[in-house]
Amino acid sequence: MNQDGQRKWQIKPLRRMVQLAVLGGLVAIPFLSQNSMSLPPSRIVLRQMPQPALFPVSGDTWTLTLGSMDFTHPVAAIEAIFAAKVLYVPLLVSAIFPLAMTIILGRIFCSWLCPVGFLLELNNKVTHFLSGLGMNKQLPKRDFRFPVLTISLVFSFLFAFPVMAAFDPPHLLGRELMYFATHQQVCLFGVSFLAAIFLLEMFSTSRFWCRFICPSGAGLALLGRWRLWRISMADNCIDCGRCDLACPYQLAPMGLVEGKKFDWLTCDNCGLCRDSCPVGTISYSISINDHRHHVGNGGG
Amino acid sequence: MKEFSRREFIQQTSALGAVSFLPIFRQETILRPPGAVPDFLARCIRCGKCMEACPYDSIRALGITAGALVHTPFIDPLKTPCYLCQQRGSDGKDRPVGKYLRCGEACPTGALRRIVNDRKVLANVPEELRMGTSVLNRKLCLAWQYDSCGECYYNCPLKDQALKDRPEGEQVKGAGIRPWVDKDHCIGCGMCNYVCPVRSHIAQSIMRRDVKLSLFEERYAAMVRNVIGSTGKGHALPAIRVERRPM
Repeated sequence: MNQDGQRKWQIKPLRRMVQLAVLGGLVAIPFLSQNSMSLPPSRIVLRQMPQPALFPVSGDTWTLTLGSMDFTHPVAAIEAIFAAKVLYVPLLVSAIFPLAMTIILGRIFCSWLCPVGFLLELNNKVTHFLSGLGMNKQLPKRDFRFPVLTISLVFSFLFAFPVMAAFDPPHLLGRELMYFATHQQVCLFGVSFLAAIFLLEMFSTSRFWCRFICPSGAGLALLGRWRLWRISMADNCIDCGRCDLACPYQLAPMGLVEGKKFDWLTCDNCGLCRDSCPVGTISYSISINDHRHHVGNGGG
Repeated sequence: MKEFSRREFIQQTSALGAVSFLPIFRQETILRPPGAVPDFLARCIRCGKCMEACPYDSIRALGITAGALVHTPFIDPLKTPCYLCQQRGSDGKDRPVGKYLRCGEACPTGALRRIVNDRKVLANVPEELRMGTSVLNRKLCLAWQYDSCGECYYNCPLKDQALKDRPEGEQVKGAGIRPWVDKDHCIGCGMCNYVCPVRSHIAQSIMRRDVKLSLFEERYAAMVRNVIGSTGKGHALPAIRVERRPM
């Protein structure tokens, strides 16, 4: 802790670096794994085909292959089970690590890895600029994440195909980049859907998709509800309220000091409240208790 | 902005969803990648890994017009056929690219089965995992009519197994190639479809009179018209096509 009690190192720059790395990887991977063949294949070219490139990394945030290891978004795996009504072992195995990560660390996918979440955080600045000009119109704050999740899963089950796979925004972004890299064209659906989300958030509530609609985020929220890694409060809170202002989901973490109810479902462990605290009250610790009151003077 | 209740929202979302689901009941005419299991749509999570893994970028993604099927992988043999992960050397022989077909190897959900990249295995893939079967229209085929072609036979990745130069159990006149599809071995990759010259604008001019032809091309078109009739009604181009297996 430095003199005014603020923390020496902040989580935000680290988180930004991880987010940038994910976004950069999402752009780079399809182009790196793209084939060296630039000519359209024809009967003549067929005889001169170069050896196709083999790049060990493929996929996006929905499912990712690193060498011989697969990682699958837990919600993707659950939805695939709903749709196919079979348990495909390699898919389940590939979902184990992300699932364990979500259960232990909460839905850090949303705050640390999701490329669309990152872009929407940047989009926030546009929202604030436009609201300063008075061009902003607040939407009603209703949480539709769980109804959308339920509808998606029920439709997946009834119509026997994964519904969320069609419109999950980070996955859409990854697929569009993939399709652009391999075929130099984009699918209109992904581009228009993503553009709609960004425009909606520019002119209305910030983080509207993440807070009120995102079904895959809701799935991760349910899986990470009883997380171990969570914020806790020390005794030296000065009631300044900066954490409440910093929270992108407006969850009012300051209430934790008085043992008020806290929305653990929505909290995605982004660390902004911890960074904003001037006296280092908020810290991350391992806990299974929802309302643990951390005793001590600004610990770790 | 109008306040809307949760019930209204659910109703509207369901209606919107149901409308976008309609194309799923549409009769499909597209080819799925090799090894697609019968419940392909239920298993495919549209991750795009097969698209990325495909060495010849044959696998494409369905567009917005596919409705709920958006971004599921397919192969359009008239644009890029499936090469069955073969690489043709200067000696004209095909060598396998990798141990398995790349798309099936990349699929994380088992929507595409992993098929060993070996001529014997590829020619004997179970019927429910094939892409389709080639169908030859002898009336349109230049080899059958004029003894002047054989592109499909020479370019078939399963040459002499799926596509033979003489029909089995049938006597034909002439020494040239008479392409014949062995329905037990054809996997439906669409290479024959891709190389068939009858899909050219010359052949299209027989069905559509608005295509402008040179004098030489007009003579060729007249020859084909002579065989199939002046309108070409009831014939689909090219002469050899892939019929998608029912899914």
